[in-house]
Parts: sequence; structure tokens; C-alpha cells
Amino acid sequence: MNTDPDSASTPPPALDRREFVRATALVAIGAAASVGVVVKARRPSAPKDPTGPGTIRNHDNLSDVPVTENEDVLLRMERELQVAMAKSVEERKWVMIIDQRKCVGCHACTVGCIAENKLPPGVVYRPVTIEESGVFPNTRLKFTPRPCMQCEEPPCVPVCPVDATWRRPDGITIVDYDACIGCRYCLTACPYGARTSDFGEHYTAGAAVGAPVGEAAPLSGARAPANDWEGRPNHELGKSWDRDAHGLPGTHASPMGNARKCHFCLHRLEAGMLPMCATTCIGRATYFGDANDPRSLVTELLQQNNTHTLLPHKGTKPRVFYIA
Amino acid sequence: MSTTPSPSAAAHRGFFAHLLAVWRDPPQATDYVPRFLPWRALLWGAWVVLLTAGGIGLAQRFLQGHMPAGYGSYVPWGLWIAIYFHGVGMAGGAFFIGALGYVLNWPGFQRGKNLRLVIVLAVAAIVPAFFAVWLDLGHLDRLQSIFLRPNFTSMMTFNAWMYTVFMGIAALCWILSYLKDAGWKPALTAWLKPLLCLAILYAMLFPSQSGAFFGVVDAKAFWHSALMPVLFFTSALTSGAAMLMFTRVLTDAAGGYQTAPVEQQEEHAMMRRLRTFLIAGLAAYFVFEFAEFSIALWSPVSHAPAVELVLFGPYWWVFWIIHLFIGGLVPLALLFSRRRFGWTIAALLVGVCFISARLNVLVPGQAVGELQGLQEAFSHPRLTYIYHATGMEYLVGLFCVALGMTIFVAGRTVNRLVRDWFAQRAPNFGKEAL
Repeated sequence: MNTDPDSASTPPPALDRREFVRATALVAIGAAASVGVVVKARRPSAPKDPTGPGTIRNHDNLSDVPVTENEDVLLRMERELQVAMAKSVEERKWVMIIDQRKCVGCHACTVGCIAENKLPPGVVYRPVTIEESGVFPNTRLKFTPRPCMQCEEPPCVPVCPVDATWRRPDGITIVDYDACIGCRYCLTACPYGARTSDFGEHYTAGAAVGAPVGEAAPLSGARAPANDWEGRPNHELGKSWDRDAHGLPGTHASPMGNARKCHFCLHRLEAGMLPMCATTCIGRATYFGDANDPRSLVTELLQQNNTHTLLPHKGTKPRVFYIA
Repeated sequence: MSTTPSPSAAAHRGFFAHLLAVWRDPPQATDYVPRFLPWRALLWGAWVVLLTAGGIGLAQRFLQGHMPAGYGSYVPWGLWIAIYFHGVGMAGGAFFIGALGYVLNWPGFQRGKNLRLVIVLAVAAIVPAFFAVWLDLGHLDRLQSIFLRPNFTSMMTFNAWMYTVFMGIAALCWILSYLKDAGWKPALTAWLKPLLCLAILYAMLFPSQSGAFFGVVDAKAFWHSALMPVLFFTSALTSGAAMLMFTRVLTDAAGGYQTAPVEQQEEHAMMRRLRTFLIAGLAAYFVFEFAEFSIALWSPVSHAPAVELVLFGPYWWVFWIIHLFIGGLVPLALLFSRRRFGWTIAALLVGVCFISARLNVLVPGQAVGELQGLQEAFSHPRLTYIYHATGMEYLVGLFCVALGMTIFVAGRTVNRLVRDWFAQRAPNFGKEAL
């Protein structure tokens, strides 16, 4: 047995006056620094996205389509969209209105969105919830498409630890897929469940089990159309996101591992086209446009109808309105 | 072989030369080469099993990504996040008590070696916690972004920064404690206790912040409670006291030293104090939990469904058996006994079982959606409100435990090596400063 060199003699004294003063100063500095960084972070900051004339887009997709009295609302909304795009980004105020009286629950918007944004399994931007009420035979179904609400007070933004998500001047909340670390805090913060995580799944994985393998495999082979489609890049947020080249140098890593969300098809808006869900809606139940334009269809609908938003008590101030 | 080299030769060796000398000529029958004891063999055996099983889970995680995991988009966080908060809380709680004891000169806490053990324990709890949360990220390669492009409106950033700063201060205190014991650089070592006070502040803040991490999420009714930071800090103190007691007993038993009577008295005082912390912590935690649950059930509000899930859902046994019975009532009964062995077992039970408290906050909070019918709107296994931890998640959890054990043993060995290096140069090491 040895004697522990650490141990011996009597205990040290408690804090003396000088130590107490130093401790108080350090604690005060530590607390002040902590409060300071939070206060600084909470203060409004300059927009991250470009604003001003550089954001103006002039489109003439419909210049050769004459305006008719009873034209499809899609045509009207697209014309209005192009008017809005001719303004700088901070002058636009995108809103979506969903007329639940017209929605038949066909899920065309859900599927259109998946195709447009090449969403992998487990990622969905616009599911349609179905609510049944009444007692048979007097039952009723209510369909509620649920895109991202593009909230004015988005709870998903402040929780992001790396500032990888923010609200643009036109009101669309986006995710920087090159910066997101995939912590999924924003998923928990969204009361609408509008964010989903891309865990890297593929529709063709494990498909056609028992069929020939290798390049000749009908779904997952290198030459198979389905596999080819899944491997091709998508173009969310105006960039090419290459799923096959995920993480390779010089490529935008695909959003695999990221939080993903609806962005009102921003890449389509930039090209003068309506969001895919509005385009594919067979009942014309989805309206989209610039609420800053007093003559737009969405402004008319907001004025004429008693609209509501989902979970208004959450205080998020959604920009997606429902007519029920 | 000798336990200590000749003072003249040893006193002129640098630290790394000292390490090399110990490696070449390991001392026998000292704390470097402890005696064989059955419980020590049991711990080593457990470590090997945990490391092997954990290695399998780790390999799965790196080879298959998140595919074998049970979490999804509606329940985005699972077992690993619970491990993270448990580890961070335990580190904060243990350091809070241990460092406070050192500053306030509590018997059994007031020696430099007591403080250094607390620091090692805190590191051994935080690093595996950090490892668990790193594995949970979608982009392992972007972890550094939290430090390079932080957003301080996020509790996650605040949490990560705070315990990183804490670890830096703790490391500084670790070095200063040696200098103080050696009687060197008094102008520097006069900052030891002030720095410890700052570290204590952070050790109090980051476990509380862990509660705020959930409390600020308005979307989850069960989490959105002002009680969360209090609950988390209480559980951090309780589990920290528990692990401190357990490791102190373990290391004191392993030391093989003939301790002076005064130290034996200190040891008793330390045990009694930690026992008080444990009893008070357990009682407080269950009182807070009762307040939260009873109000939700008495007058059902938005978070009543989550409370019902905790109490009567598929994982009812996590609350009733692991948390309440094995992690609460049994330890309380043992702590009220007079046998120190019973207290040690109670400490182990609390330290391990309090992870259920984390799970019972984490999972039920996510398992209740705000929008009705969302789960049925689009079918996919990752778009459900049901979460079951998978084999890979459990195995990685075991790896985290093994990692913590490794860091603790390694840290303790480093403690001794550095101590001997100082002791060879400062004959009054551990005495001058006392």
C-alpha cells in the first residue's frame, strides 16, 4: 500500500475576498456575454437574399395567348404571376388560397409536387388530410391540402442552429440545402408538420425482388428508367441537386440528410410559372398569387370570402388561407 | 521495478519523457496497476461487451446511414437524443456539485484530486453525449457549422456553445488545480476558484437550457412548459450526484491507498452529502413531475394526450417500472438504509435509469401531432407518430456507454500520471496549497 500523494494535511480555505471579487466579475462577464449574443441574434438583420431591380423577372410566356372573358383561372393567375415577377422581390407578397369546397381529395397536388421536386420516399411537401364527419349515411369528407404555410412568424427559422433557413423578402421560407446539418430541430418546431427529413431513401431500393439483378434489373438496374429518374438532379430553389453525385466535389450535395419543405415552387415562379400544386389541381381549388396586387385573384378571394388559417392560436400567421 | 524513479532523475524529465518512463517501467501494485478484484473484472467484462456490441451498431450507422434507425419526420428524435441530454445533464450536475464543493470547501470535495475527478467525470459524460448527437445528424460532415456559422436564436447552438466553453474552462481549471497543489504560480492559481465559479454558472445553465431546448418549442404542447428547464436541471443534479457518488466509491475502492483517517472522515461526509442531494433531487423531480401530470390530467388540456401516452401508452413500463420503481422508489429505499453499499447501488440505478426521464419527455412530446389526419394523409414508415428505437440505435447507445467508461478510465490515468510528474518536482504537492 502506498500513500496517495494527492492526499494530506488540512483542507484549503473557502473563497477569499479577492477570489470572490474575481468570481463575481467572471460570472457577470459570462452572463453578459451569453445575454449579449442572444440579444444580438434576436435583432432584425438585413435580408440574406438580393433585393431591388436585380430581382425583377420579365416573362412573356403568355403573350400569344389572348385574354378571354371566362378563361381558366390558371391563365389569369399565371398572367398575374408574371406581373408580380416584374416587380422586385420585396414588393411581392405571395399567398395561397385553398378552397376546400372545391377540393375533391384527388391528391393530384401531392403527386405533382413529388414529381416536380423529385421527392424521395418519406418526404412530402403537400399531403392532403381527410376528415370524416357525421354518421352513416349522412357522412361528409373534408379534404385539407397542407403545403408549407410560409408563416409570417415561422417557428422553424429561429431554432435552426446554423442559420440555414430563413424567410425571404417575398415571404417564402427556404432552406439552404448546402448549409443544413440535418439536426431536425425545425421539424419539431413546425406545428403543421410541414418539414420532412430526407433520410436518403430511394423508391427503387428493394423493388422487384427476385427479378434479374445487375444492370438488367427492371427497376433498380443502372439502365432502368425508374433508377435513372431517381438519379437525375432536381432543381429546387433554382439549383441542380444531384442525388447520384451526392457529396462529390464540385456538386451541390443533394438534400439527402437535410430537412426539406415546400417553397411554393420557387424555381417555377422564377420561370414565370405557377407552383405545381396549383397547376395540377383538377378542381381549381388552389389559388396562388401576389396579395400586394389589388387586382389579383387572390386579393379578390381574400376580400370576398371568410377565410381561415390552420392552427391560428399558434401565432405563426400563415400565408396559406382556406375557404371552407 | 520501482513505483517511483529516483528523485534526481525524475525531477528533470519532461512530462512526455515521464509518460514514456511509466510505459517502459510500469509501477506495480499501485493505482496504475490495480489489484485484481472481482467487481473490476466484471466492469472490464461489461466494457468489452459494450464496446463489441456498440461497434456493430456503429458500423451499421456508418455503412447504412439512417436507414436502420426508427426515427422519422414526425418523430424526428429518438434514443440518441435522449442519451445526449442525459449525458449533458449528468456532466453539468456532477460538475455543479463537485466544483461547488471544492469552492465552498465541503469535506470530501475540497481537494484538488476530488476536483480533477469531477472534471474527468464531466468530460466522460459530455463526449459520448456529443458523439450520440453527432451520429443523429443528417450531415456528419457539417457539425463544425454550429461553431463556424452559429445562430444564437437557437437553443441548440446556445447549448453546444455553452458546454464547449464550459469544457474549455474546466480544462483550464484542471491545469490550475495541479499548479495550485504544486504551489506553483500563485498569481495564476488565484484564478482557480473564480474560474470555477464561472464554470459552475455554465454547469447550471446548460442542463437548464436543455429543458429550454424543448420548452421553447410551441408546436409541441407537452414540451411547451416553463417547468421544463427546472425539470431538466433537477434531473441533471440528481443523475450527476448519482454518478459522482458511484464513481467516487468505485475509484476510492480501486485506489489501493491507505488513506489517512481524516480522509476517511471526508469520504463519509462526501457520501452523506451526495446522499442528501440524491434524496432531495429524486423527491423534487417526482414532485415536479406530479405537478405537471396531475394538472394535465385533472383538467385535460392540449398536452394531456402526451401525458396519457407516458402513463398508459405502449411504453407505460418505461415510466412505471424503469423511471418510478427502479429509478425512483428502489433507490430511495436504499438511500434511507444505513449501508453505504446500498447507497452506491442506488446511485448506479439513478444514474442509469434517469435516461427514462429524458425519453419520457422526448418521445411522447413528438408522438402527438397538432394536425389531425396527417399521419394517414401520406403513408410511409417515417411519417408516423409511432417510434420504436431499433437495434442499431440501442447498439450505438451501448457504444456511448463504453466510450464514457473509456474516457473516464483514461482521464483518471492521465490524472495520476500528471500528478506523479508534479509530485516529483514539487515535494509538497498536495500539501502546500492545503
